[in-house]
Amino acid sequence: MHLVRDVLDKQIVDRNKTKIGKVDGLVAEMRDGQPPRVLFIEIGSIALARRLGPRLQRWASRLAERLGGRKHREAHHIPWQEVRDIGVDIDIDIDVRDTAIFDWQDWLRDHIIRRIPGGA
Amino acid sequence: MKKLVEISLGVVTSVGGFLEIGSIATAAQGGAAFGFQLIWAIVLGTVCIIFIVEMAGRFSAVSHHTISDAIRERFGFNFFLWPLLATLLVNSLVLAAEIGGASVALEFATGASFRWWALPVAFAIWLLLWKGTFGVIEKGVSMLGLVTLCFVVAAFELRPDWTAVAAGALPSLPQHDAGSYWFTAVSILGASISPYLFLFYSAGAIEDKWDSSYLGANRAIAGLGMSFGGTISVAVLIVAALVLPPQGIHQIDDYHQLPLLLTSVFGWWGFVLFTASLFIACFGASLEIGLQQAYLVAQGFGWNWGEDLKPSDNPGFSAVYSLAIFASAILMVLGLDPLKLTNFSMALTAASLPLTIVPMLFLMNDERYVKDRRNGWIGNAAVIFVIALGFVLAVVSIPLEIFGQS
Repeated sequence: MHLVRDVLDKQIVDRNKTKIGKVDGLVAEMRDGQPPRVLFIEIGSIALARRLGPRLQRWASRLAERLGGRKHREAHHIPWQEVRDIGVDIDIDIDVRDTAIFDWQDWLRDHIIRRIPGGA
Repeated sequence: MKKLVEISLGVVTSVGGFLEIGSIATAAQGGAAFGFQLIWAIVLGTVCIIFIVEMAGRFSAVSHHTISDAIRERFGFNFFLWPLLATLLVNSLVLAAEIGGASVALEFATGASFRWWALPVAFAIWLLLWKGTFGVIEKGVSMLGLVTLCFVVAAFELRPDWTAVAAGALPSLPQHDAGSYWFTAVSILGASISPYLFLFYSAGAIEDKWDSSYLGANRAIAGLGMSFGGTISVAVLIVAALVLPPQGIHQIDDYHQLPLLLTSVFGWWGFVLFTASLFIACFGASLEIGLQQAYLVAQGFGWNWGEDLKPSDNPGFSAVYSLAIFASAILMVLGLDPLKLTNFSMALTAASLPLTIVPMLFLMNDERYVKDRRNGWIGNAAVIFVIALGFVLAVVSIPLEIFGQS
């Protein structure tokens, strides 16, 4: 398997078949005398911004912290052990509701979409 | 039998979805200014869009990916950003032109300026997307689009010289106004080969849960649907070529001239038919483009998407189409001329095509996605040729058009 070809930028689907985002970044750990090991998948605009440039990453991080609080200062992490299958999509054994990934969509739903007739 | 019904429905949908403000306005302009001479541009554009739409459907049926989703996956985010931004921008302008077209139809019907109609039209589009399902939008609304067949009836009523029509299907050099000739040719190509058309078709294949058993149906729908659609565009051009120059109109510079196309043939009913055709064609296209904006963003960033889900189940997706529709409507409220915007955005479409088509051709030749259903060399060559032609013509003629007129 090639990490960049077969994993990076692929669709991630959670335990309930909800599309929760793409593999926006991958983090690996370098170990002395042993091959590197993938630790987690990153999701979110901060990881995407870093791919465009370090300055953009700082801006995205500051903006996310201002909008969503401290826990949004870094990209969301999905531990590599939670990956179950890599096919058309990447299936992970996590419920997106237990993470902060959809905080912004939840905010949108609760504050705007639900208040418009027919939205719920 | 079930497949046959699906094929006919698909063809009807494509015919209904093909004609919109871009194809009506550019074909009418081509006919008024250059007679039958520009028919080749419609033929070339139609052949090209048949190839591209067939590829988009085949890709999604075999790989279970949409094109937008796969461009991000295959080429990475940093590349994807360019087609994403270009397509979002071009689509917003085209969407504004379509909302303008529907509003102009309401101006014809009521006498109140299109600027007053832009927001109510946007609201109606938004409401259908908010409450409707994919089936309602794809089949119901585009079925109404069959009213545009009245242009074909009109073309036959006018008894054109069919040898001259056939001669127009072969490319030829202009005898006068070369700059305007090539600009119109580019706009016609851009109107036929709209990115929203094939990106939407690829998302539709996923929404309708296509698999490899749909490849035959896909070929039939792409071939027949787009050919019929192209035929209606040619009919608009023929009608314009025969009706407008005798009334002294060699250049359409005001959208109020457009209903003349049908009033000269059908009288008062022609006015009703033209108004209805314009409204339905533009309204249907607006629905598709509004949805496509949301598909593009949601598929690119991996959010939940699907027109059959309730807005509260995909808040990001519904927020994108809501914003896209009202942002585009604002351009019309500000009083941009719908006709000028149409011409400009069609040429811009042609210029932006390589950004989506070139990665798409790579995908169509990648076994990891399309397995043994890869493109043949004819398909690849045809598409590369027309896209390159459109791009070169656009890069040359857009500056000519902008600076030549002022």
